Amino acid sequence: MAHPIRANKKSHIPENSILFEKIVPASLIILAIITLGLILFAAGVLLGIVHF
Amino acid sequence: MSINQVLPFISTAIMLWFTVDVLQRFFVRRNPAFLYWGIGLAMFGAGSFAEAYLSVTWNKWVFFIWYLFGAALNAAWLGHGTLSLLVRKKWIHIMTGLLVIGSMFAGYLMLQAMPTLDEAAFTIDKPVSEQYGTKALEAGAAVPVTAQTITTTYRGKEVTAVRGLLPLGTPVRLTTPFFNIYGLFTLVGGAIYSAYLFWRKRVMPNRVIANVLIATGALSIGFASTLTRLGYGQFLYLGELVAALLMFTGFRFAARPQPEEEVIQNSIPASAD
Repeated sequence: MAHPIRANKKSHIPENSILFEKIVPASLIILAIITLGLILFAAGVLLGIVHF
Repeated sequence: MSINQVLPFISTAIMLWFTVDVLQRFFVRRNPAFLYWGIGLAMFGAGSFAEAYLSVTWNKWVFFIWYLFGAALNAAWLGHGTLSLLVRKKWIHIMTGLLVIGSMFAGYLMLQAMPTLDEAAFTIDKPVSEQYGTKALEAGAAVPVTAQTITTTYRGKEVTAVRGLLPLGTPVRLTTPFFNIYGLFTLVGGAIYSAYLFWRKRVMPNRVIANVLIATGALSIGFASTLTRLGYGQFLYLGELVAALLMFTGFRFAARPQPEEEVIQNSIPASAD
């Protein structure tokens, strides 16, 4: 008699997907650079180096 | 009513829906991250509503809400929610304590600033974020055409300044960068880091996309605010609406149930049980 069993199968990123292979990494790099720039800018304003 | 007066009301409605959704999840799952996000979102919604209100008429207590919740605190609380998913509980307890004390101190400083507000400087023709602060002019700097200037004493020197609601050197203004740097670092940095972790492990594609959307949404407010300070205030309300939509979409995407378990029919014989 066949029994149904449960197997863990987490959702995986599809292979050869342009979205996940190219667009997502590029977006993350751009977002990280912008964030770093904004943090440095805000720190500059806080320290009085940048007049804003 | 112009489109710029309608947009903040739409953002407020989205944030209200978003806040209720997140707080409901906190009451069901008891995960503190949802509570911190809920507090941050409620502040964002209150700030957005105050901004909408101040585009129609003046009220100093609405300005109080706008500055304290909309300009100073909301990003820090939103980011704190993200941080609480990424670091140990001990650190979260310490940071929560500091954030609560810092928020109360900022509230106290804002209350102290209320009697000093230059209410006569207010106009509904500009977003409040363009006129909240008095800004000292550098020697020889050009005065914007529409700006009202005053001559005042600041740190023992006589300076010419563009008139704003909060006087020069108001202490509460010094607290804002601390909250916003913490908020930017934890909210955007946390979302980027989470997206990277899931992407590297090649799992949960919905959470990768969700975190990219949240980071982009949070950065779009930063951009809109910066443009406003540079004199392009017409983009502020659109930026806030885009931020509200992107973050809400990201959150819904992240909260989507995952097919973690799949029932597989196999042919294991009963005797093998």
